[in-house]
Amino acid sequence: MTTTTHDFSGRTLLLTGAVGTIGREIAKRFLASGANCVVTDLDLDAVTSFARDLDPNLERVLPLKHDAGMPEDAERVAQAAKDRFGAIDFVVTSAGLYKDAMVETMTDAQWKQSLAVNLDGVFYTCRAAIPHLAEGGSIVNIASVAGHRGSFAHAHYAAAKGAVLTFSRSLAVELAPKIRVNAVSPGLIDGPMVQNLLQMTGTKLIEQTPLKRLGKPEEIASVIAFLCSSDASFITGASLHVNGGLYISS
Amino acid sequence: MSSHAGRVALVTGAGRGIGRAIADSHAAAGAAVAYLDHDRELAETAAREAVAKGWQAVGLSADVADYEAVVEACRKVTDAFGPVDILVNNAGISPKTGADGRRSPAWEMSPEEFRRVLDVNLTGAFNCARAVLPGMKAMGRGRIVNQSSVAGKTFCDIVGVHYAASKAALIGFTKHLAGEVGPFGITVNAVAPGRIDTPLMRGTASEANEAARMATPLRRLGSPEDVAATYLFLTSDSASFVTGQVVDVAGGWLMT
Repeated sequence: MTTTTHDFSGRTLLLTGAVGTIGREIAKRFLASGANCVVTDLDLDAVTSFARDLDPNLERVLPLKHDAGMPEDAERVAQAAKDRFGAIDFVVTSAGLYKDAMVETMTDAQWKQSLAVNLDGVFYTCRAAIPHLAEGGSIVNIASVAGHRGSFAHAHYAAAKGAVLTFSRSLAVELAPKIRVNAVSPGLIDGPMVQNLLQMTGTKLIEQTPLKRLGKPEEIASVIAFLCSSDASFITGASLHVNGGLYISS
Repeated sequence: MSSHAGRVALVTGAGRGIGRAIADSHAAAGAAVAYLDHDRELAETAAREAVAKGWQAVGLSADVADYEAVVEACRKVTDAFGPVDILVNNAGISPKTGADGRRSPAWEMSPEEFRRVLDVNLTGAFNCARAVLPGMKAMGRGRIVNQSSVAGKTFCDIVGVHYAASKAALIGFTKHLAGEVGPFGITVNAVAPGRIDTPLMRGTASEANEAARMATPLRRLGSPEDVAATYLFLTSDSASFVTGQVVDVAGGWLMT
């Protein structure tokens, strides 16, 4: 059995945080499904090199520098997407920042930086994209299990992700019925982001996961592709957990 | 599309409405599908029409509330196609025995009606899972998806207390079962549809459906195909790391 595939040809994805572990798989999946991909990241060299790996002539991939916490960057990338491909069909906010800090000793700067990337960046990107969104379009914001459950030593991250969930629902109502807005909450996904956590906690978290393994970034990308596709045309304002059962909530 | 080639699916309540759409979508995706329905005529017609389209299908009749009948039906599926990989617990009833085709209020509902709804909607799902899980466990894979409802998560004025309770119970059933069987490579999820245009729904007053439509941000009722597409996603490899979850397919209605 293979994953279901979708035809996104002629449609355009605006993806932030594109060189992250999950971001890369999202870009690959949408490109393989025929979409044009505007891939943005804080690291322009990395995202340009990634884009050239995907599409050597950059025919369907446009790499751009994007500091998620900067509203003018969001405006610039949304305008560039519109100028290059005509409209935006899908927005996926994958840019995120996950750093360890206990509340008691967290500095104002640490708090503000986390909120800027994880929350403000989602607002800026969505706001900038809205005027260019094609009817039938879909926004998927990447939240986290931390946004539902909270997270030891990551209160700033968890607070921002919780806010992303309620932001997404609010936006779903504002943009209905023409545009759908949903959130995806990954659990522990194999990649650099979870290495610290696994070193601290050992195998405990995997043992607590009913599927007894980490998720693969492709398993997030496939869920996002579903939510963007017409198969999910009656799904809006929803949040979908992808965590192997680690956190079983409503 | 052959995303489900080689898979064997058992869909309960497959004679019409959402169940029929789920069964058809799986058959079209390459699965061999058992169309199970309490109504033999509906089950056999649906399966015959599926076969006519070149799909692999068999029609079976059983009352899911009857464990022995479910076991017998599963044996027939296994004989025809092999062990069940995918179980869709969709069979459900929502009696509207009050005035003007509305729900019976709790203070007037007969205990027999309450019990029958729980027997079909909840115990039926257990009976089917009980029958197929040993086979799934032996294969080291499986997908179970249970038909819940937004009415199982919040107050919904259209349905009766029995239906709401049964759909809420299916959520607990889903979450617990996901934890138990995850280590064997089996995922268990639920779908919570909003207002879907089905024969069951047309049994209720049209004003209630219009009110639901206006309360739904997408400003329409869902179609059986909308719900079926989510089932096809949850039973595919696209959802391989999704388990223990409830997916709302409600057009933003209630946002439970």
